[in-house]
Amino acid sequence: MLVYALVAGLLFGLYFSLVGIGLNLVFGVMRIVNLAHGDFLMLGAFIAVGVSALAGFDPLFAVPLAFVVFVLVGLVLYYLLVPRLQGSVDPEMLSIILFFGLSQVIEALTTIAFGTSERSIDSGELGKILAGLRVHVFGGDADGPVELLGQSFPTSWVISAAVSVVAILLVYVYLYRTRLGTLTRAVMSRREEAFATGINVDRVSAVAFGIGLGLAAIAGVFAPFMFGSVTPAFGEDATVTSFAIVVLGSLGNPLGTALGGVVYGISYMVVQTYLSSWADLLPYVLLILILLLRPSGLLGRRVRVA
Amino acid sequence: MPSALRHLLFIVAPLLAVFAILPSVYENHLMLFNFVVFLILAQGVNVIYGFTGYLPFGYVGFFGGGAYGFAVMVMHLHASAPVAVVVAGLAGVALGLLLSPLLRLSGAYFAIANLAAALAVLHFVANPALETITRGPYGVSLTATFNPNAAYAAALVVLALTMGAVVFLKNSRFGLALQSVREDPVSAAMAGVSVVRMRVIAWLASALIAGLAGGVYAWYVSVFFPDNVFSGTFSIFAIVFALFGGVATIVGPIVGVLLLYGVYNLIGFTTPQYFQLIYGLLIMGLVLFLPAGLVSLATRRGWHVP
Amino acid sequence: MSPKSAPILEASGVVKRFGGFHALDGLNFHVAPGEILGLVGPNGSGKTTAINVISGLYAPDGGRVSFRGQSVGGMASHRLVHLGINRTFQVPKPFLSLTVRQNIEVALAYGRAASAPPAMASLLDAFHLSEVADRPARDLNNVQQKTLDLVRALSTGPQLLLLDELAAGLNPTELDWIAGRIKALAQAGMAIVVVEHLMGFIEQITDRVIVMNAGKEIFEGTLAVAVTVPQVVEVFLGGEHAA
Repeated sequence: MLVYALVAGLLFGLYFSLVGIGLNLVFGVMRIVNLAHGDFLMLGAFIAVGVSALAGFDPLFAVPLAFVVFVLVGLVLYYLLVPRLQGSVDPEMLSIILFFGLSQVIEALTTIAFGTSERSIDSGELGKILAGLRVHVFGGDADGPVELLGQSFPTSWVISAAVSVVAILLVYVYLYRTRLGTLTRAVMSRREEAFATGINVDRVSAVAFGIGLGLAAIAGVFAPFMFGSVTPAFGEDATVTSFAIVVLGSLGNPLGTALGGVVYGISYMVVQTYLSSWADLLPYVLLILILLLRPSGLLGRRVRVA
Repeated sequence: MPSALRHLLFIVAPLLAVFAILPSVYENHLMLFNFVVFLILAQGVNVIYGFTGYLPFGYVGFFGGGAYGFAVMVMHLHASAPVAVVVAGLAGVALGLLLSPLLRLSGAYFAIANLAAALAVLHFVANPALETITRGPYGVSLTATFNPNAAYAAALVVLALTMGAVVFLKNSRFGLALQSVREDPVSAAMAGVSVVRMRVIAWLASALIAGLAGGVYAWYVSVFFPDNVFSGTFSIFAIVFALFGGVATIVGPIVGVLLLYGVYNLIGFTTPQYFQLIYGLLIMGLVLFLPAGLVSLATRRGWHVP
Repeated sequence: MSPKSAPILEASGVVKRFGGFHALDGLNFHVAPGEILGLVGPNGSGKTTAINVISGLYAPDGGRVSFRGQSVGGMASHRLVHLGINRTFQVPKPFLSLTVRQNIEVALAYGRAASAPPAMASLLDAFHLSEVADRPARDLNNVQQKTLDLVRALSTGPQLLLLDELAAGLNPTELDWIAGRIKALAQAGMAIVVVEHLMGFIEQITDRVIVMNAGKEIFEGTLAVAVTVPQVVEVFLGGEHAA
């Protein structure tokens, strides 16, 4: 049972890392709390549903589609909202309210367009184009679960975790191996000085915002498999969970989120296994304890207290 | 005439009089009651956000805590409703004390931690393991104290107390000291103000207000579920109403509630998603174009707004 | 002026670390009632840190700070204010959305001045703030904001006043005016510590200076003597020269 909980926790944890990383990138670069983060996950999930149910393709195709669409959406939204917000007296605080408004708009539009019914995708659909490869590597049959350490896990969990790892590695490559990524890190660590040194902070921020939304949408593609189904109201819970993960890893340090996600996933699965009725409390209690005991998160350096 | 007396006579008294008379000429009492509750909550947000700058994103935690404080007193100790309302207020204060370490956090960190705290209280109260005490997720039914008219009157009393508190803050050196802490805690300390004590007092006062509001709400509705009284809508509406009118004033939150909750009642119930859309856009417009609220239209012209 | 009277503030061996960096590395100095002490030294030598420790913004990591014989190291700022210590900030920090009058009112109400503090009207008048008394502090120019910082400090009736670069950004007329004000306060018995880069200003108002380098004092005496000490001249080379 413990082995199952640990492996399932790791798979979920890797996925949770992807869920949170976009939120953290946005906060890290812009000091903006994107309270609509979960709604972009929800929209990603609807793209997956569309690709799978309407077009009949493998939902994996929704990954590049969702990413590209939401990077563009992010660029547009950035220039519409953020520069004006940054000019206000207290951008960090007002961003919470602004993006809450945005989340309401997204949720309302989605409800108007698609109704409130739950959407799900048959878990066999995910990765069907890879099925042959999978049988070759793991054995078993194409529709069955994946065997890991003597326990079986749904194929969709394994694929979600694998894509999450790839996405996080790409974020790492972007931040540490590209010029724009280096500038992004510069803005993250010293926003004021980045302005002074002539870095085009707006451009760097806009790209980071786009990537942040794109990553959320990718995570959303897998949401129907990890959470069973999604509705337009799914965004709110997803936002709070993302916060727990992000704060756990360290707010403002995107790669810390990878660690935060794994810690969160494993503790969630362990609590679920042994103390299931209290599992719902976990993200919130964990979030508060981390904020109070180690406000900089597990990997953070800077402590932010009043 | 001292300005505090003027504020009581020309703002608070007429407001209370109108809401005392309305039930006899307008039959939708539930709606009037909800107006009173939101007036109380918006002013409660005003106390903590307007005067100290802490954004209580989980303000509903105190409200729900108060409602359950009321329910537990009535169900298990067979207390009379007025006694149970007082206990509801104390439940809010107790919760406020428990959460007072959160005041060490600043900006978005506080808002997020407060949100998490409210959700933690919800999941705690709604836990099936506590069914014998709170009835868990199955909700409570308080037929013994059912008396909407008395509950409405009690709500007016709570509103009067809350308005009195805000008038005091607006007209006292204590309120001025609180605002100085909001503006710059370091300078406030250099003016001799005990920053920590000020924040805790304002925090507990706003917790007391929400706890009392939760108590009268429980009394009025008499049947409710955890999801009802811990609904994030209470926090969000209260914050948006207060901000929309303008915080750190007496009239701002009143104007915000009367206008926005009025609009909500005109279009909200029949087509909730269209209301959500309008509401979301309104919030975004507010933050981007009028971050200091409607009253700033007047203050910008140099007019004094109480 | 009575520079020979017993010190009101004594710092001995004060240490303040930030990570591995020793911002203060065993600083010693004292100041007496009625005395104006200058704290000079190159950037990063620990002058502002010294003020921050004495005014309770930072708790010292070692050494002793005593005020009127009482150990005050690590005490909360507002309690130090009540004991009679106050300060201004290099970048003025008024309560921006409150009016000038309200800014002062808070300090008058909460400062617990030992003796009756000056009245609001006379403060506004003496520091040329009457005209803007009912305007929000954010409308003030930098010099007015600095003055307001000073008035807030004075409203709490301090016996020890720490001035962090009050003179920077003032024009010559304003400099003369503020120097006169500071001297008058000292003559009334206040102990004053001035951190300043403008050596002319330091020369004009101080009785004595402490030259700091790398978190400790390397010279104590008058500025006129300081400029003849090779070690002092060396730490200032490339920086500001004595005027």
